[in-house]
Amino acid sequence: MSFLELKNITKRYGPLTAVGDVSLSVEKGEFVSLLGPSGCGKTTTLQMIAGFVEPSAGTIRLDGRDITRAKANSRGLGIVFQSYALFPHMTVFDNVSFGLEMQRVPKGERKPRVEEALSLVHLSPYAKRYPRELSGGQRQRVALARALVIRPPVLLLDEPLSNLDAKLREAMQFELREIQRKVGTTTVMVTHDQAEAFSISDRVVVMEAGRITQIDQPYRIYEHPETEFISRFVGKTNLLPGKVVTATGAGATVSLAGIAVPVEAAGLSVGETVTLCIRPEKLHLTVPADGLLTGRVADRFFLGSQWLYHIDGPLGTLMVVTANDGSTPAEPGATVGLEWSPSVVRVHRGAMAEAPDVALEVTG
Amino acid sequence: MTRNGPVALIFHTAVVIFMLAPLAIVCLVAFTPENTLSLPTNGFSLRWFDAVFHHPDFVQSFWNSLWLAVLSATLAVVLAVPASLAITRWEFPGRGFLNALFLSPLIIPHLVLGVAMLRLFAIVGATGSFGWLVAAHIVIVTPYVMRLLIAAISGFDRSVEQAAFSLGASEATVFRRVTLPMILPGVTGGWLIAFINSFDELTMSIFITSPSTVTLPVRMYMYATESIDPMMAAVSALIIGITAVAVLLLDRVYGLDRILVGQH
Ligand SMILES: Nc1ncnc2c1ncn2[C@@H]1O[C@H](COP(=O)(O)OP(=O)(O)O)[C@@H](O)[C@H]1O
Ligand SMILES: [Mg+2]
Repeated sequence: MSFLELKNITKRYGPLTAVGDVSLSVEKGEFVSLLGPSGCGKTTTLQMIAGFVEPSAGTIRLDGRDITRAKANSRGLGIVFQSYALFPHMTVFDNVSFGLEMQRVPKGERKPRVEEALSLVHLSPYAKRYPRELSGGQRQRVALARALVIRPPVLLLDEPLSNLDAKLREAMQFELREIQRKVGTTTVMVTHDQAEAFSISDRVVVMEAGRITQIDQPYRIYEHPETEFISRFVGKTNLLPGKVVTATGAGATVSLAGIAVPVEAAGLSVGETVTLCIRPEKLHLTVPADGLLTGRVADRFFLGSQWLYHIDGPLGTLMVVTANDGSTPAEPGATVGLEWSPSVVRVHRGAMAEAPDVALEVTG
Repeated sequence: MTRNGPVALIFHTAVVIFMLAPLAIVCLVAFTPENTLSLPTNGFSLRWFDAVFHHPDFVQSFWNSLWLAVLSATLAVVLAVPASLAITRWEFPGRGFLNALFLSPLIIPHLVLGVAMLRLFAIVGATGSFGWLVAAHIVIVTPYVMRLLIAAISGFDRSVEQAAFSLGASEATVFRRVTLPMILPGVTGGWLIAFINSFDELTMSIFITSPSTVTLPVRMYMYATESIDPMMAAVSALIIGITAVAVLLLDRVYGLDRILVGQH
């Protein structure tokens, strides 16, 4: 049995099912992220684990104990809120000490434990400050220290980094992971930012409209998204509608607007409608004669470590990302060839969903 | 302010002078050594303040007013804290009605309230009771406290309380250690504004005070209908002084602009 287990957890608000039939097992010491667009039920799921929202159905077990109906203040979990939720009228020290006080830890023992927690998040010199005297990143660390000092069996993080600016967010991602490794606390994080989820999680749980659509390691989710929604939501992707023309055991050929493309996918039948999904960085620019396709560079964008091209060709506009390795980039208007290996093409059965870009709008 | 043109500036100055001049003159007159209401031209004197402090009726009325204001402000706060927490946080039947009920004394003229209270006091046999006077003042000051508290509580991040719960605090501890300290500016601000309103309330109190419970504004009114001497100016100066101190405190703990402009 896993350390933290959600079994068929459902939360309904009147006619709305905010979370539907979510089952998830988290192992001791694991870092799991719930990833999905805004409104998909991530926070609600986390709040049910925390005890602030009561599930309409299902059970939650922690270390074998059923905590589904236990009160939030008896669960002993550490929680970091998106707004940090620090006590504004208490110093950093008192904020961190609060949980120990509630657990009736003797005063003499509290001080060293608070100091230990503050040094873990590199905030020792700030113990006497008030939250309003700290920067966003420092507040974030206080929130983390306050949650960790009670040595919770599970740490819950709700969009912990979303209020930080981009540079700090990236630095904090790694620091968060480092701290989590050091203390070994089982962690569940909620985020709508795939880069954040991927870079620090052992496993990622993708949610869509209140349901889990895939649970996997970050690399597997990126390379083998199980649904078209995931391939859109996670990173950039080229989606191409086609029809299977030949199928042989482990492979098949798919016709895309008259161009035959080999793919590696079992179980397809001839005549079936499919959607191919190719990541922009898996496409390579070549001289026109060597390409599986030729196209014209419609636009190019400099991203620092990479170039992003929009290539107009027989399949519409394709995105291509190449590393900025110092070589001369292709000029807009130039004719180029495109090649890729059959193994990088993912095949989703069925037709492409409409209006992809709208569904991709993701905010807090 | 910097955007104001010269005309607007002159206009604003004129309005401020128009409003402050009577107060300033009353305060000046209070220091006259003469027997008539006049500006002190031949020296300043504290004789009229002395007269106030040795006038037993005024001294008694002063204490009446002070006690009345302190009690009604305090009880209004005690009443308004749970009421505004309930109104802002819970959905329950009759919530809108309760909210309207608490705020309604704001729109009922004090004259009407005074007549109504007079009848009520007569019916329950409470005419002249100080306790019932306090109750009547609670009715008129509670809306001010409620407005400030509702503003303070609406802007409150509930996750701060959730954080305290998750750290093992009980409901009572969360209220005492987190909620109350966080709405304290609203509570103190509400208390002060209630104090000020009760302390210089005249219209309603005229109807419901008895000889032993006469408040300072009512005493002044009664006195002024018979004779006008500089002692009136001295009492006025005292009331202005006390109110000004309360307003300054209010500005320090809560911010006047937040109350007057309605920013939360
Ligand atoms: N207290 C509530 N009452 C009604 N609907 C709610 C409540 N809390 C959340 N919801 C709804 O449940 C859905 C999921 O919300 P949430 O878990 O906050 O999403 P996320 O954190 O993934 O953005 C949303 O459609 C939201 O409007
Ligand atoms: Mg959320």
